[in-house]
Amino acid sequence: MKTSELAKLPELKLVQAKYEDREIKNGYTSDLLSDVLANAGENALLITIQAHKNTVAVASLLDCAGIIICNGKTIPEDMLQSAAQENIAIFNTGLNQFAASHLIYGRLNR
Amino acid sequence: MKIKADLHIHSCLSPCGDLEMSPRAIAARAKELSLDLICVTDHNTALNNPSAARACAAAGVRCLYGMEINTREEVHTLCYFDELEKAMELDKFIAPRLPDIKNDPEIFGDQVIVDENDIILGQHEKILSSAADLGLEELRDKVLAAGGLFVPAHINRPRNSLISQLGLLLPDEKYSAVELHKSVYLCGAARPETFDYPVISNSDAHYLNDIGLVYNEIELEDFSLSALRSALEQKSVAVKVL
Repeated sequence: MKTSELAKLPELKLVQAKYEDREIKNGYTSDLLSDVLANAGENALLITIQAHKNTVAVASLLDCAGIIICNGKTIPEDMLQSAAQENIAIFNTGLNQFAASHLIYGRLNR
Repeated sequence: MKIKADLHIHSCLSPCGDLEMSPRAIAARAKELSLDLICVTDHNTALNNPSAARACAAAGVRCLYGMEINTREEVHTLCYFDELEKAMELDKFIAPRLPDIKNDPEIFGDQVIVDENDIILGQHEKILSSAADLGLEELRDKVLAAGGLFVPAHINRPRNSLISQLGLLLPDEKYSAVELHKSVYLCGAARPETFDYPVISNSDAHYLNDIGLVYNEIELEDFSLSALRSALEQKSVAVKVL
């Protein structure tokens, strides 16, 4: 599925809309960004509760397809700005990481 | 003057701190080791700072006031003041932001508030190893605005550190310094990129025997926080092993 299709899911709210629309083939769910760096691989959709600008730095390094922030965590302004600069979509959801991963997993063209 | 400082010491109020770590015993051990400046930095609380102030005065050791706060990102951060009142204000600000989970001393350890003569005054009710509901930047800005120093703790530790939680240390953030884990100096653990940040390291002692194992030798004008800030900015700090 594409990033723009994610934006149509009612469970997800697109909060950073300046992004490159691309095909999402896999995802990675973790709140330890050191673990994300080590294990997520490239192009993954990142599912996490770490609402912090470093999440964007990590996503940028790994060329992540987007970021989903779970549990309705407030996303700080500097994170949104940095993601806009890097053209990385950010979604907010009230779902937890388990439910958000389930929501996405079955929709990916694997 | 050249001084020796260990600025990350847990007292018996930290759940993981040994019961023998009373402020009196800490001050006495610091004196024995000829440390000039120490700071009792318990997890998410400053309630043993008043007795640390009196115990240090009695032992003839200078101290700063502060705590090691666990932020929302679960990053441990050191906050320092040279006025007890400011540390206590931060304690009051943090306390309601800790989750309402009662400590079970059998599982997590005792969290004992003591006076400068080792008399038990009470226990902290909430489990202090939790994360406060406060973002790292929010806390940093608050501490710096209050005139304090803000130092991400043991940034290269594999848990509860800036690097474990947030992946990497970014350059040009408003940190007063970064603390490297003592393993870098004690056993040659890999040293992370630290950019232009001043670097300190401390014992992070939880037991009396660990105090001062790693300390900072600092060229200091006087014992004020502003002198320490200048020394950090000028990188007049050398990490030493006992």
